[in-house]
Amino acid sequence: MPEKTYLQAISDGLRQEMRRDKRVFVMGEDVGVYGGAFKVTLGFQEEFGSWRVLDMPLSETAIVAGATGAAIMGLRPVAEMQFADFVSCAWDHLVTIASKQRWRAGTPVPIVLRLPSGGGFSGGPFHSQNPESSFAHIPGLKCVCPATPEDAKGLIIAAIEDPNPVLFFEHKHLYRRIKGEVPDERYVTPIGKARLVQEGDDLTVVTWGAMVYTAEEAAKQLPDLSVEIVDLRTVMPWDKEAVLESVRKTSKVLVLHEDTRTGGFGGEIAATVAEEAFEDLDAPVKRIAAPDTPVPFAPPLEKAFIPQVDDVVRGIKELSEY
Amino acid sequence: MAIARVAEPTGSLQDVRDQGLDREDLLGIYRNMLVTRGVEERGHILYRQGKIPGSFYTGRGNEASAVGVATAMGPDDVGTPLHRDMGVHITRGVEPWRIFAQYMGRADGPTQGKDGNVHMADARLGLLAMVSHLPAMLPVAVGCALAFRIREERRVAVGWSGEGAMARGDAHEGMNFAGVRKLPVVFICDNNQWAYSTPTHLEYAVEHLADRAQAYGFEGVVVDGTDVLAVYREARRAIEKARDGGGPTLIECQTLRMEGHAVHDDAFYVPKELFERWAERDPIERYRSWLREQLDMTDVEEDDITGYVKKLLNDALQRAEESPQPDPSTLLDGVYATPEDLDTPHHK
Amino acid sequence: MATGTAVDVVMPQMGVSVSEGTIIRWAKQVGETVEADETLLEISTDKVDTEVPSPASGTVSEILVQEGETVEVGTVLARIGGAPAAPVPYDEPAAPAPEAEAPAAPAVAPPPEPARPQPEAAAPSGNGRSFVSPVVARIAAEHGIDPTTVPGTGGGGRVTKKDIQAFLAAGAPAAPAPSQAPAPEPEPEVAPALAAAPAPAQARPEPQAPALGETLEPMSAMRRGIAEHMRRSLDTAAHVTSAIEVDMSKVVAIREKLKKEYQSAYGVNPTYLSFIARAATETLRDYPWVNGEIRGDRIVTKNFVNLGFAVELADGKGLIVPVVKNAETLNLLGMAKAIADIAKRAREKQLTPDDVVGGSFTITNPGGYGTFHGTPVISQPQSGILGTYAIVKRPWVITDENGADAIAIRSMMNLTLTYDHRLVDGALAGRFLRDLRERLQGWGESDY
Repeated sequence: MPEKTYLQAISDGLRQEMRRDKRVFVMGEDVGVYGGAFKVTLGFQEEFGSWRVLDMPLSETAIVAGATGAAIMGLRPVAEMQFADFVSCAWDHLVTIASKQRWRAGTPVPIVLRLPSGGGFSGGPFHSQNPESSFAHIPGLKCVCPATPEDAKGLIIAAIEDPNPVLFFEHKHLYRRIKGEVPDERYVTPIGKARLVQEGDDLTVVTWGAMVYTAEEAAKQLPDLSVEIVDLRTVMPWDKEAVLESVRKTSKVLVLHEDTRTGGFGGEIAATVAEEAFEDLDAPVKRIAAPDTPVPFAPPLEKAFIPQVDDVVRGIKELSEY
Repeated sequence: MAIARVAEPTGSLQDVRDQGLDREDLLGIYRNMLVTRGVEERGHILYRQGKIPGSFYTGRGNEASAVGVATAMGPDDVGTPLHRDMGVHITRGVEPWRIFAQYMGRADGPTQGKDGNVHMADARLGLLAMVSHLPAMLPVAVGCALAFRIREERRVAVGWSGEGAMARGDAHEGMNFAGVRKLPVVFICDNNQWAYSTPTHLEYAVEHLADRAQAYGFEGVVVDGTDVLAVYREARRAIEKARDGGGPTLIECQTLRMEGHAVHDDAFYVPKELFERWAERDPIERYRSWLREQLDMTDVEEDDITGYVKKLLNDALQRAEESPQPDPSTLLDGVYATPEDLDTPHHK
Repeated sequence: MATGTAVDVVMPQMGVSVSEGTIIRWAKQVGETVEADETLLEISTDKVDTEVPSPASGTVSEILVQEGETVEVGTVLARIGGAPAAPVPYDEPAAPAPEAEAPAAPAVAPPPEPARPQPEAAAPSGNGRSFVSPVVARIAAEHGIDPTTVPGTGGGGRVTKKDIQAFLAAGAPAAPAPSQAPAPEPEPEVAPALAAAPAPAQARPEPQAPALGETLEPMSAMRRGIAEHMRRSLDTAAHVTSAIEVDMSKVVAIREKLKKEYQSAYGVNPTYLSFIARAATETLRDYPWVNGEIRGDRIVTKNFVNLGFAVELADGKGLIVPVVKNAETLNLLGMAKAIADIAKRAREKQLTPDDVVGGSFTITNPGGYGTFHGTPVISQPQSGILGTYAIVKRPWVITDENGADAIAIRSMMNLTLTYDHRLVDGALAGRFLRDLRERLQGWGESDY
């Protein structure tokens, strides 16, 4: 099986779907001639033409609202914010129209919104955020956060298929650093199902996105501990059953995410575990997340912000010793 | 300094005939305007009787603008009407009983009680339900036009905005994108001179909002919104132009909002003389006179129409009152769409 | 729209944030007719003044809110149609309910029920950490283990899930775990108050490993319940016991006669216990304090007798006291049946929680194995418990009708009344026992 980077996997999945289904089209800033700010759509306009790979004006509203209208009319747009951080400009259309249209007016809005997210390369406050929890909170939206190239392809295809608005958080720092086996054929990774990264008995780490690799690395540094790692893959709807099953087994759980701590999605997971698996807990639910600040620019500051392998090692140790 | 073209008022019967409207069409327009006003007057009473929860908005004075534009739309065209555009829903075929059920939050309303007042639409009739954030649906209408363009269909989207809402970025971003890509969309600005209590000179600095069209690369037209046939003429022209690939038009329909922003607002801030002046140009009265004079509408025809409207609305009210309250157990239904929901003509 | 039944006219909501309205003027008065949609009244709100059209045609039958009054949105202002109402009187305040005496069921349920051990009940099993985590508490409860008996290797010596799982897997409690309280670098972040630095003199000794020749087993929930109840009862009531000897010969004879009939006709055995219970119930009605209870500083007496019967559970696992309610309504046959029923259900573990509460007096049979005396413990919150003992054939002095003494063989039985001397004095107890004996000794053939 061929190895692809995380970025190539997304690109391949998207291209396959565009070849397969004429209704699928791409819209975003610089996605056409330039091939996308990160080159995810390199070569697409040459293949599909300028009306299926739309270079949009600098207008997040036009992008998201335009996608909404086109989707209501039967197309399957895959829109893109150049950086996830810019989704705040289109918040209104996602939250006011796209998320609510099916529920209140019966019209589904099958759009995909690709959101290059995450930090770790001195992107600064406006190019590094992980805004998944804000949107997980809005009924009607789905949020996926693949960590592996295989899941990235499977989930972009699943997102296109899904009749709901799906926010696809692709972690920029994984684009070229992570390579993995990716099947050539078309396959769908189910939205809402977690992946067991590694099995363990002593404690469970629940995480997603780039933090999956941080957790794996941390576990490697603690060979005496049997650490189970659950990659949620989808933040909304999240695989509650998989998490609870793991908690029942290990009785200790650590939730890890790169997003800031207060109001981050880890709080929802922790509360659910406490509510539904209280009698299985041998320790309080622990969370490791970024501190409640904007993402800093200078490397020493950014390192203090993004949870590092050492932070996770320490957290796992403390939890296991409770 | 005017930039937009000012539309001519309605001319003779022959001019109108040249646009393809026959006697039946012309009487139908009158009927639709009467139904529109009747629905809203009736709703006003229901509201004050405590039968309608929440708030209640009407488009009194905007009947010609709404019915005129909707009459010019083709059967496969789509639109995003707003709360002053009840005439669009009526003209496109939404049944009055469903509108009353919607007002009263009943299970048979188009949103089944999940949204209220005129936040409704029947997608099968080519209408998309509005939201409170204005003009958020405008760039969505542009998105619909984008789909038509991508699929090379001869269909047009019509997007509505008020003069106040034109101050928001959504209007700019939507129109800019439409102009850049010459999309088949027509923008209707209902300028009724008051955005709640805010007059036009505090909303925009140009002489006409239609002047802005030039900034986006397309034509702007100003028309007397109380002259239904003039509105029809301009709308028809713009819609067909878009259908033929000529790109967007911005049509500004000038009227006066004859009631408060909502029923709970008595519009004390509107000078009385303004109301008096515009009352003389009541769109329905105006058209009725034209029909009597130019079309020789007879007493019998007129009585038939008014009788029909009265019966239609009474029956509608009765039927709506019988519609049940929504069941709380349906609250969680439809938060997420299923693949079956995509089984619509649009998605084929 | 003419109406047959009354139609309400309500205060409308004129705007989303409006919560009330004031009536400015009624356009119609009671008795006047109004058409649907005709203006019925005018109102004023923060936002706007407006006319309210009538929702129906008919006669105004009631006006409930007057001009000038302000009421909440949704309030009924008037009614149209229906029977013209009499002026609506203000509601009289409801007559105060008679003092709710509920002497029937005393709140306390004496008999032991299987209960979950409280997680915080554990004495410290390490160096100050007494916390039992939810999962450990659950596993302990499921297996009837006291977590304090489990060696702990967790932070501060607490019992971890793995510790209790290992404990269970090892079967019996093993030798003391090798490292009792491992000192990992990170000290448990215990607040100083919790740790209580000077070695506290704890009430319970540290129950660690058994000494040579000893075996440790955990107490069942029922045993713990019995232990707690017995201790509490002795600490509460002033236990005194009086005894009396009863000549049961007449009862024996009558019972012989009735046995066959009861068995064939009613399928029930007229046990001695049913005779005694019947006689005791009758006697209790004359001695309400023996059937009574001290509650706070009051004496509670009852007009019923809920008779509890102490039943030993199979395998000596414990005892349970099902109650026959309203025993005063039962005759001998009824009593026999009731006793048979609860005994059967107790044996088959089909008693409901309701069956074991609410007793006012208890009968127990310590004499089942031949003993002739005993001092049972009163079942709280009752004030007396009757003990029955073996019926033994003994030579007895009887006096004939001429006053001559002779020795006869009689079936003799001792009875004890253990009573709460706070409430029942010795003389009262004595009279009770005397009367009880009279009834039993004088049982007539036609007494049922």
